[in-house]
Amino acid sequence: MHIQLRGITRRFGATLANDAVDLDLEAGRVTALLGENGAGKSTLMKILFGYHRADAGEILLDGAAVRIDSPRTATSLGIGMVFQQFSLILAFTVRENLALAHPRLPWWLARGARAFPDPIKRLREIAPEVDPDVQVARLSVGEMQLVELVKVLNLEARVVILDEPTSVLTPAEAERLWAEIGRIAADGAAVVLITHKLDDVFACADDVAIMRRGRMVARLETADATADRLVHLVVGEEPATAQPIAAAPDAVVRTWIRTLSASDEAGTIADIDLRIAGGEILGIAGVSGNGQQTLADAITGLATIHVGELIVDGRTLQAPRAETPAQPSVACLPEQPLRNAIAPDLSVAVNLMLKRVRDLPFLPDRSRMLADASALVKAFDIRPTNPAVLAGSLSGGNLQKLVAARELSGSPALVVACYPTMGLDVAAAAAVYDALFAHARRGACVLWISEDLDDLLHYAHRIAVLYRGRVAGVVSAATATRRQLGAWMVGHAEAETVPAVHA
Amino acid sequence: MRSFILTGPGRLVVTILAVLLLTSGFFIAIGRDPFSLLWLIARSAVGDGYALTETLVRTTPILLCALATALPARIGLITVGAEGQLYFGALIGTGFVLANLNGTGPWLFFAMLAAAMLAAGAWAAGAALLKSHLGVNETIVTLLTNYVAALLVTWVVYGSWKNPASQGWPATAEFPAAFKPFTFFDSRVHVGLWIAVALALMLHVLLTRTRWGLTLDILRSNPRAGIAAGLRWRRNVVLTMALGGMLAGLAGILETASIQGRLQANISAGAGFSGFLVAWLARNHCLRIVPMSLLVGALLASGDGLQMLANLPSSISLVVQGLLFVGVLLAGGGLRRLERGHG
Amino acid sequence: MDSLEIVFSGFLISALRSATPLLLALLGECLGQRTGIINLGTEGQMLIGAMAGYGATAAFGNPWLGLAAGAGAGLSLASVHATLAIGARANQFASGLAVWMLGSGLSAYFGAAFVGRKIASFDSVDAGAVATWPIVGSLVSGVTPTVLIALLLVPVIGIWMYRTRTGLRWRAVGESPDSARAAGVSPAWVQVQAVLAGGLLSGLGGAALSVDYTRTWAEGMSAGRGLVAVGLVIVARWNPWWTLPAALLFGGAEALSLRLQAANTPISAHLLHTLPYVVSLVVLTLTYVRARASGAPAGLTAVMDR
Repeated sequence: MHIQLRGITRRFGATLANDAVDLDLEAGRVTALLGENGAGKSTLMKILFGYHRADAGEILLDGAAVRIDSPRTATSLGIGMVFQQFSLILAFTVRENLALAHPRLPWWLARGARAFPDPIKRLREIAPEVDPDVQVARLSVGEMQLVELVKVLNLEARVVILDEPTSVLTPAEAERLWAEIGRIAADGAAVVLITHKLDDVFACADDVAIMRRGRMVARLETADATADRLVHLVVGEEPATAQPIAAAPDAVVRTWIRTLSASDEAGTIADIDLRIAGGEILGIAGVSGNGQQTLADAITGLATIHVGELIVDGRTLQAPRAETPAQPSVACLPEQPLRNAIAPDLSVAVNLMLKRVRDLPFLPDRSRMLADASALVKAFDIRPTNPAVLAGSLSGGNLQKLVAARELSGSPALVVACYPTMGLDVAAAAAVYDALFAHARRGACVLWISEDLDDLLHYAHRIAVLYRGRVAGVVSAATATRRQLGAWMVGHAEAETVPAVHA
Repeated sequence: MRSFILTGPGRLVVTILAVLLLTSGFFIAIGRDPFSLLWLIARSAVGDGYALTETLVRTTPILLCALATALPARIGLITVGAEGQLYFGALIGTGFVLANLNGTGPWLFFAMLAAAMLAAGAWAAGAALLKSHLGVNETIVTLLTNYVAALLVTWVVYGSWKNPASQGWPATAEFPAAFKPFTFFDSRVHVGLWIAVALALMLHVLLTRTRWGLTLDILRSNPRAGIAAGLRWRRNVVLTMALGGMLAGLAGILETASIQGRLQANISAGAGFSGFLVAWLARNHCLRIVPMSLLVGALLASGDGLQMLANLPSSISLVVQGLLFVGVLLAGGGLRRLERGHG
Repeated sequence: MDSLEIVFSGFLISALRSATPLLLALLGECLGQRTGIINLGTEGQMLIGAMAGYGATAAFGNPWLGLAAGAGAGLSLASVHATLAIGARANQFASGLAVWMLGSGLSAYFGAAFVGRKIASFDSVDAGAVATWPIVGSLVSGVTPTVLIALLLVPVIGIWMYRTRTGLRWRAVGESPDSARAAGVSPAWVQVQAVLAGGLLSGLGGAALSVDYTRTWAEGMSAGRGLVAVGLVIVARWNPWWTLPAALLFGGAEALSLRLQAANTPISAHLLHTLPYVVSLVVLTLTYVRARASGAPAGLTAVMDR
């Protein structure tokens, strides 16, 4: 099977997501589609999968032009896609999920193992340890991804597209996936791996196609590529990296998360004991869903605290049974700002002073709110610049800037950043990092929750790993290895922890 | 054409057309001339002094119940409990009257109102607590408790509070004059109407100009963000529902004291549900609720006219009310489709 | 032993007969909510089913025709909800209430002619030899065909939902319309079918109420049963098998209140009348306390927990 994409163009409103892109895919080869966030890789593959329709261009299958107008058509042509947001139904069992997507599902489903065995065969090959009758919600993220892959393979896909598959996996799970990808290609399928990580490219791709700002800029064999060359192609000019922290942190501990146990609807944390010095960046690593959200919630007062306290600059800010809401000395950049930190139906101006609403006079002065907002909008480069605009209409990057403007414009003693750059392109991410690190240099404590081990290893002073709501290990970033962090992320207590910087 | 339709006045025209079409369709289906019936509705609603009086009488409880629905809606709750709050307020208010039948003094009237309002507020607060602390869906709870409140009224009216003088038609004793509100021009329109309009104005100012109104807006837009910013969601859920309940309770006792003069079953005439419709039509805007209440009040008042002059069961006005709601929702959906059509 | 048997079996059959209209509406709403659509108009559908069923039985003297007419009327009214909630993407609560208002008005309007008439209705099912058995005998001989239909539908729908391909697909629509679409199912079409099926069943339930249970027609006679059905679906955890005990809860409460009335207890009939609603409310609250409405189809949660 030979797929050719010719001149694919697609616009979303004012943004040109794909600009006359050409791409060739061959059976038996793994192609990495490399580029930063917003480069257009996902859009291109979603067009191939029929999720979007191209404004211009054509797709050829073995030389014949085809019209792919829906995922069903794509599936019938043998194209399958494993999405970043899994399309598994959490309430169903693995078996039910695989059965639902299977083309030859019979009308009557008998009970138990005698039921329709076809979907399960590949599952036993690829992920034998997964029990098909367990609810998908109970699986780990890595297992879910494998089930998702089985689902696609069950449809006899000749082209398998994977969208950022390793972004949520531990290092060990990523290796397993790479091996699996190799096997699928060896069986004769064409595999496309959408990614922004070089590791993925060098681990399993035969060739790499680089996209930047909607254009296809290069195509090379992996064997001919070097990391530097790829980075240069991806980013174009010299990457605007955030300034690495030169100064070491102070000696004074400003934040103490003391034997904290808390829970909310996202999960539970237990016995978290961490001390952060002024100017220190403490990174929190771990597979998403192991308590990171709950930790952030506990610090900001959204989770129920059972035991322990949060002490900042000597003052206890959070404790059991204390309904203490937001404090000016704690700033929080949550993940998914639209869901957690923004009132979308209200103006940018109101959103900028959300934490100060409680202190407003009975009859607030709206014009003053607008004036104050204008200054912040300018300082943080939020687009559009009119503070009366509804916050819900802002793009993801601008929403993060809005939240950053609100939280970071004061002088907080503790800054909690929860996956702050998710979905942002390099420029926007750099701006967020800049702001975060500026506060560290000023002497604030920074608690930085991230899935990107590379970023953490590069910028943080120490890294703590969360596993099942507990701290699996804390280590200085200078001496940490990905192996060790990866082990902690899956609950293997390997190397002993390096003693913390402060007693 | 399309751009005109999507403007404010254009939308209004489309909605009105949709409703008229549905209503006419129904009239034709029952074998009547739609134009003459529609004209009759208009005449029965505002055609003469009597019609106007009836319309205003109907409007007052509907207005109050609409406010009672709109206030919790500002924090994002969908409640249909005004009916039950109305009944419970009427119940307790009547109890107060019956306990003070021989009392004198101007304070009695206001004390009766207060008793009714506080009782209805508490009734609503009960449902609110189920939502705020246990997360039970407020729409279902308020709808269920409506039935309980109506049955409680039936209970006392058939039982211990039944006036032996009113044989065959169960009701309480007539309210003494001390408890009847001031009326205008010997008509049935009482001061309650002006109280209701004044309350609408007051609420409008409260909700759009004060810190509290802003707090409610934030909590409605994104409760998580609001709570993270230190705003109190639970307290405001109970507060808005209790205040709303008080308004519906006021409607209940005013209906009982002034219009009926005594407590009897079916005192609400569906004002609670009509109030919900009005709040929906007005998009929970307190000022817009006033004209919308007049509209629905006029519609329901015309039912009597249709019965007398066109020989139709008065329940026809209920059908038209239903068609009104359906028409508005249909038009809304169609307009949204049109908006989304491009891009 | 004899009197105990009479009391027990008499009570059970009374509860069953009272529960039957509700059970039918409950099954219908269960289907709808499973695909992610909540229909407050169920009450209006029951009303119009009751009115149409009664009218058809009175006109043709055949209660089976009455049941069919009721089902048809409920189906027609439900199509309004389907059009509004799915076609026009209106708010589901508003749409349901509009349908309720319409159904309430229409049933009052067209039913005005029927108030106070009498009809010939179902006889109890002839149970043959079974009627002579101890306990079970008296239970079985009070059963009417509508009760049997309702009881039969519980396992039919239960098995259909969990053991067939269409049941799997319908459940998928309720959990994740996107996943269902990816599997080749049209979520909107499934939802429309579910709403219509709900209308048919609740209309049938209304007809069962007027034609079989009370054998009269009065304005607003379903008195909130349709609404109770919407709430009890949550108590039944969206599982058709659990609709029977949930409906029996309501039916039992009503049967109890009727017995207490008949036994001349000092408590007023009207107060006793509140028992079924209070019980439903308490059970609903307890469900939230214990499970916080978890286990709801994911699509429904988006509608209900704003």
